[in-house]
Amino acid sequence: MEQVEQLLKRTLPFQVVSPETLGNIAGISQRETFSEGDVIYSAGQSANDVYVLASGRLHHAITPQVNAKIHEKSLNAGDVFGWAAIFEGERIRLADVSCTEPVEVLRIDGTKLLDLLRRDRNFGDAAMRSFSQLISQQYYLPPSVANRVPSTLAAPATTAEEPGEPAAQMASTWTLTMYRAGEWIRSPDPYLMMIGFMLLLGSWYLTVEVFKLPRFEDLPGLTTVVTEWFATDPMYGLSIHTSEYYQHVWVSIRRVAIAFLLATALGVPLGLFLGWSRTFREYVFPVFELLRPIPILAWVPLAIIMFTGSETPVIFLTFLASFFATALNTMLGVESIDESYTRAAYCLGANRWQVFREVIIPGAMPYVFTGLQISVGVAWFSLVAGEMVSGQYGLGYVINTSYTMVRYPTIIIGMVTLGIVGYATSAMVRVAGNYMMQWRLREMALGGR
Amino acid sequence: MNAMLEKVKPRTNEARYGAIRIDDVVKIYDPEGAAVMAVDHCTLDIKAGEICMIVGPSGCGKTSLLNAIAGFHDITSGSIHMDGEMLCGPGKPKAEPGADRIVVFQNGALFPWKTNLENVAFGPMMAGKLSKKEIHEKARAMMADAGLSGTEHNYPGEVSSGLRRRVEIVRALMNDPKVLLFDEPYRALDSLTRSVMHESLLEIYYKNKVTIFFITHDLEEAIFLGHKLVIMTSRPCRPKKILEVDIPHPRDYSVLTSPRFRELLEETSEVVHEEARKSFAAGEKEG
Repeated sequence: MEQVEQLLKRTLPFQVVSPETLGNIAGISQRETFSEGDVIYSAGQSANDVYVLASGRLHHAITPQVNAKIHEKSLNAGDVFGWAAIFEGERIRLADVSCTEPVEVLRIDGTKLLDLLRRDRNFGDAAMRSFSQLISQQYYLPPSVANRVPSTLAAPATTAEEPGEPAAQMASTWTLTMYRAGEWIRSPDPYLMMIGFMLLLGSWYLTVEVFKLPRFEDLPGLTTVVTEWFATDPMYGLSIHTSEYYQHVWVSIRRVAIAFLLATALGVPLGLFLGWSRTFREYVFPVFELLRPIPILAWVPLAIIMFTGSETPVIFLTFLASFFATALNTMLGVESIDESYTRAAYCLGANRWQVFREVIIPGAMPYVFTGLQISVGVAWFSLVAGEMVSGQYGLGYVINTSYTMVRYPTIIIGMVTLGIVGYATSAMVRVAGNYMMQWRLREMALGGR
Repeated sequence: MNAMLEKVKPRTNEARYGAIRIDDVVKIYDPEGAAVMAVDHCTLDIKAGEICMIVGPSGCGKTSLLNAIAGFHDITSGSIHMDGEMLCGPGKPKAEPGADRIVVFQNGALFPWKTNLENVAFGPMMAGKLSKKEIHEKARAMMADAGLSGTEHNYPGEVSSGLRRRVEIVRALMNDPKVLLFDEPYRALDSLTRSVMHESLLEIYYKNKVTIFFITHDLEEAIFLGHKLVIMTSRPCRPKKILEVDIPHPRDYSVLTSPRFRELLEETSEVVHEEARKSFAAGEKEG
């Protein structure tokens, strides 16, 4: 049974259904074997069962009456066929299926299968959409055929003109995301996370406000900070109800955004060329390596001398840290590309520029995005350093002035806000990376995380 | 399988291109002044449309020979000609890599960031002579022909390693190459998958006659696939024994149990074993 579920899980339509439904489908599946040359069904017969190919190879030929782009196709383990058995209306076989090798199949009763999918309110619909997707994309059949798979929702399936219709794909991505979120809630992870937070906050509360440990009693307590943060009339002038709070947050975000975008726009190309061209690296890399270890704080005086005003020095400092992280990781990314990829591209007739565009850039992407994650982190780090020294707004400025003006709770408000905003920005970079590297996501999903 | 082979009509027009002549080639690597001879005065003639199997112990320098033909490395002396035209030789130590000689790599080199279809379409897309639509149509048809329909929109990382190898061969064939250079492509596969890959390679070969230069250290694989068997000495590599495999094509897996196959295996295994022992004693690195 376990095996059957594993096999079903690998197929396109059933990978999205809930574990419970999967178990039920496995329950109505029957194993059957055929020997070489056997005909499983022929066009025109009535269609009662859907099949999943467990092992061996099959020949699948669609009758010319149906308007398929490609009529013949061989099926391998994991392929699903016989989907005419879940059509709305008349269920007639559209193809001849014969065995080119001894095969083993799972036979699933179509009517029962539809019942099970209808009962799975969350994912049944996604499974049916996958069926129509399968029919149009893998069997090259027109949407008129694919749309004969019923939908559990009242909304009719969108009329697809091209295979790979985005609406259906987006719907299944959405259900998949919801499914993952549901799994997460059911797993122990979120509760462990809550325990982690409770331990931190609890020890803060206890050491400062309850036990009043020496050296801790001067710190602002948890309750003081929370009341101040949410107060409509804050004692020290900064809470979520004051516009100044948002102004500080906004100024900091704007500085990080400018510096980060600038660092990415300059750092990624520099890193790509450093990794790509040996000559270029000979010129630039020694200088780069000499400047990189200089701590950002050491740049502060120069930044203030070089740039006027309070805005540009801070942006420059923030930029600098990001830039080094991005460029270095991008260079490592280029170096990490397996030589056989570039060789293969040359073999296939690509010129140097085409290799750069088609192999070097996408091949370095995983490292580039690791670099960008680091870069956005160090951007916040150096931003605060910069804002503490120069500048009139921003979270670093808030923290520093609150210290000199003895507004201790405000320090904590500034720190926590930095934590939240910093986390949000690096999450955004991660999401952007995942979006751009679908291939990597899918590869990792198969690797079991 | 027999049924499948019957359907494949061997092409009557034999391959006319892709004859390779390797003439007295020497390759010496010189890392840090320690001259290492990888290829030692190697001379070899490969006919157009022939499957030439190069067998030798790991690290004997057979890959250096492949790299010289493909144009990844230069040669120290000697020359390599294809169809009478010099690829590399005196005055031109390194051949230009090009779509007439395509390598299928040991660990596979499908671009993981492109779908299988985009991978197959890569060569013609780079050449830029046809429109994207035409290229994709041709790519789909060739994939369907090799039993790969349904995997067009998958990324290589999503399909089995056996399928990946097949996609890679189709990617090469899209460019109408004269020679396919295989660098132990099935080394990492398990023996069952490998036997399937052998038959599928022959099936593809019967439909698209090209010259095949195939490196392996597996003697059974070599006899099963090849027209010609070249057994190399351990480093530096030089043909030690060249023999024609007189088992008629098309072949299928029943060949493995035929008496002639066993005879050839016996005849050659002693030679190969001896070289492997020498290579082991010298402590050559794998690769």
